[in-house]
Amino acid sequence: MADTGGDNGPGKKAADKMFSLKKWNAVAMWSWDVECDTCAICRVQVMDACLRCQAENKQEDCVVVWGECNHSFHNCCMSLWVKQNNRCPLCQQEWVVQRIGK
Amino acid sequence: MYVERNKNLHQKHFAQQASFWAQKITMSLKPRRVDFSETWGKILATVRGVITLSKVPRPTWNDRFSDVYALCVAYPEPLAEQLYNETKNFLEQHVQSLYKIVNSSLDNLLATYHAYWQEYSKGAEYMNQLYGYLNSQYIRKQKLSDADLAYGHGIDLDEQLMEIGELALDIWRRLMIEPLKGNLVQQLLQEIEKDREGEQTNQAILHGVINSFVHVEEYNKKGLLKLYQDLFEKRFLEETGRYYRKEAGRYLTGTTCSEYMEKVIQRLSDEEMRSRKFLHPSSYDKVTHECQQRFVADHLRFLHGECHDMVRKDRREDMRRMYTLLRTVHNGLMLMVQEVEDHIKETGLDAISNITGDNLPTQFVESVLEVHSRFSHMIQKTLSGDQQFICALDKACSSIVNSRQDQRSPCKSPEWLAKYCDMLLKRSTKGMSESEVDDKLSASITVFKYLDDKDVYQKFYSKMLAKRLIQGNSVSMDAEEAMINRLKQACGYEFTNKLHRMYTDINVSAEHNKKFNEWMRENKEELGIHFNIYVLQAGAWPLGLTNPSPLNIPQELEKSVKMFDMFYKERFNGRKLTWLHQLCNGEVRTCFLKKSYIITLSMYQMAVLLLFNGSDKLTMAEIQSSTQMAEGELGKNVQSLVDAKLLINLDGKEQLTPNVVLTVNVEYTNKRTKFKIPALYQKETVQEVEQAHKAVDEDRKLYLQAAIVRIMKARKALKHNTLIQEVISQSRARFNPSISMIKRCIEQLINKEYIARSNDAADEYTYIA
Repeated sequence: MADTGGDNGPGKKAADKMFSLKKWNAVAMWSWDVECDTCAICRVQVMDACLRCQAENKQEDCVVVWGECNHSFHNCCMSLWVKQNNRCPLCQQEWVVQRIGK
Repeated sequence: MYVERNKNLHQKHFAQQASFWAQKITMSLKPRRVDFSETWGKILATVRGVITLSKVPRPTWNDRFSDVYALCVAYPEPLAEQLYNETKNFLEQHVQSLYKIVNSSLDNLLATYHAYWQEYSKGAEYMNQLYGYLNSQYIRKQKLSDADLAYGHGIDLDEQLMEIGELALDIWRRLMIEPLKGNLVQQLLQEIEKDREGEQTNQAILHGVINSFVHVEEYNKKGLLKLYQDLFEKRFLEETGRYYRKEAGRYLTGTTCSEYMEKVIQRLSDEEMRSRKFLHPSSYDKVTHECQQRFVADHLRFLHGECHDMVRKDRREDMRRMYTLLRTVHNGLMLMVQEVEDHIKETGLDAISNITGDNLPTQFVESVLEVHSRFSHMIQKTLSGDQQFICALDKACSSIVNSRQDQRSPCKSPEWLAKYCDMLLKRSTKGMSESEVDDKLSASITVFKYLDDKDVYQKFYSKMLAKRLIQGNSVSMDAEEAMINRLKQACGYEFTNKLHRMYTDINVSAEHNKKFNEWMRENKEELGIHFNIYVLQAGAWPLGLTNPSPLNIPQELEKSVKMFDMFYKERFNGRKLTWLHQLCNGEVRTCFLKKSYIITLSMYQMAVLLLFNGSDKLTMAEIQSSTQMAEGELGKNVQSLVDAKLLINLDGKEQLTPNVVLTVNVEYTNKRTKFKIPALYQKETVQEVEQAHKAVDEDRKLYLQAAIVRIMKARKALKHNTLIQEVISQSRARFNPSISMIKRCIEQLINKEYIARSNDAADEYTYIA
């Protein structure tokens, strides 16, 4: 953005500005910081609750879990998965929880 | 009635017994020798007086009471049996002599019979008291118990002894009613027909005679009404049928249906009164039923023939009558209900096909509501709020609301209803009070309930809600919440879940802003602008439909973005923020004019305008490279600033080509000091509506899958057809799913290994835990 100012851009004092910004009404959206939008276990988008949680109306509690391998899934899907096989379904590395979303 | 009388009798009886025993104590209770014929002679004289209700002095009565006792306990042999037989003989002779009198007064048969019956039945009651000792000590002991009667075979009932009261009535039945019954009933029927023809009759006599058939069986606990029914009621009902069949035929010729109904209702109510005047209560319903059969059921076709016109011409009085008559016969109302349903449907479809102009959503909703309230009022007032008609109203309204204006495109109603609510919930509402808005929103739920595709409504509603919340132009957050709650009530938690999350996001954002400002202060940081943010939850907001143009954030905002990102990351784990420029706006103050203006503009407009802080003149190409905005979006936004006369197009060309040079209008004036540059919100395009419908389809698939998982989890194993039925019934509250869509969802769930085809049966699925 430095070049837009041209000759007098950065040097100009605030008082000389033609427009001063008073107020900003910003809108942002939060989502889980994941590499893949879809949970590989249940094939539902991670922002939506998994089907089991939807079926039981527990949408609020359905959070995301990240492994050390950086792959992420619905926490409830993964906790069912590791009972059978303690490996990441995507990369087959041993599953170690890195963090759980909140 | 006679129970009451019995009670009184008992009380009297005990009083007498008390005085009798008092006497006995002074005399002697011991059995002694008694001369039967002498004592019987005394008793007979008194009994003769009693049965004819002549005056019997108290002491005589008491003596006879003792005489009965004396005979019953006589020494060496009790003389009770003899007493019983003599009494029976006497009563038989008495009744026979009465019969002769009654039978010979043919002209006046009913009155004579009634008079003697009154006397005799009363007298029999007294006699029963006089014979109290015989009844309780001799007869009751010999009497067969109920169990004997039920199980003892071959017992001759005629040989059974009866208490004197019962004996007297039995004799009356055998010796009076039996031989006289033909004449009696004949005359009763004639009298009642006279009454029907409006002639004078003696109610007391008719009722008394008819009632004697019941009264005479007073002691017969099991078949109290049998005589009455066999002797009288059966014939009476036949006669009633015959009479009214004729009457109905007579009415039918030369009258309109309306007149017919009026007369019939009158006759029915007259006949009900007549039943109450003459008959035993057990007959009331039978008579009414008989009349209804003759007047209504026999002429259903005639009545039904009138329904079509009557309903369409809204002849309320006739409808009320028709309803009164038809509801009385089995299935009588069906055709009328159908007519009403058809009529409401036609009226409604007609009303909504006539709407034209701009305000289609409002016209549509209010026409439907008008039709609904008009007919529901009519059903309440004219048709007694009958459930069958309310059901017809519901069916009709559902057809109206879900009718397609154009067979090729999806039904418009969900979209219109959502727009109607949006119009009400937007702050700009024209001079409507809060309670008015509230009432209208409540009423809109009536229409909502009839929608088949509630999820389509939800899709449009959530888009509009999103706009209202982000642009901050709701009437009030309370009104928004109230409406979401209404929808929740009508359609369940799941249905409004996303709406609720949107609402919550806005409230939580207020909290974020507060915390963020505190956090800034703690860290001794300042933004230099008034910063306000909404953090929306991805997935809950229907925002992903249009692809927004990219944007380089203006320098002036970079710090805000950076600081808030830091703040948010500190508070939440694993979340990332995406800034939605297309939804942001801001306020800018002009510093180059004598007057200072405060301008509200969109984020894109703002980004363009702020560039002029660095240079007086900029080409389109320069602006594009600084902002990184997509070409189309850039052109529109620059144009809007040119149109608002804030920027000047120095080339004066229509087209904003990359070479066009722009500068700030340093002579800008405006009457207002605070204003808004109209943002370029595109009108909702056909494409967007299509997209909305596609999005609904996607949601439906997800919803159906969730429903299938839910059902299968509960049932473990299910046949294909049962599963389909269950899914349909669970989703009907929201939409009518197509079978093919359900099948596709089942396939998908099999692929995802939620369920599997059963190994045991071909068309069965099992749940995989």
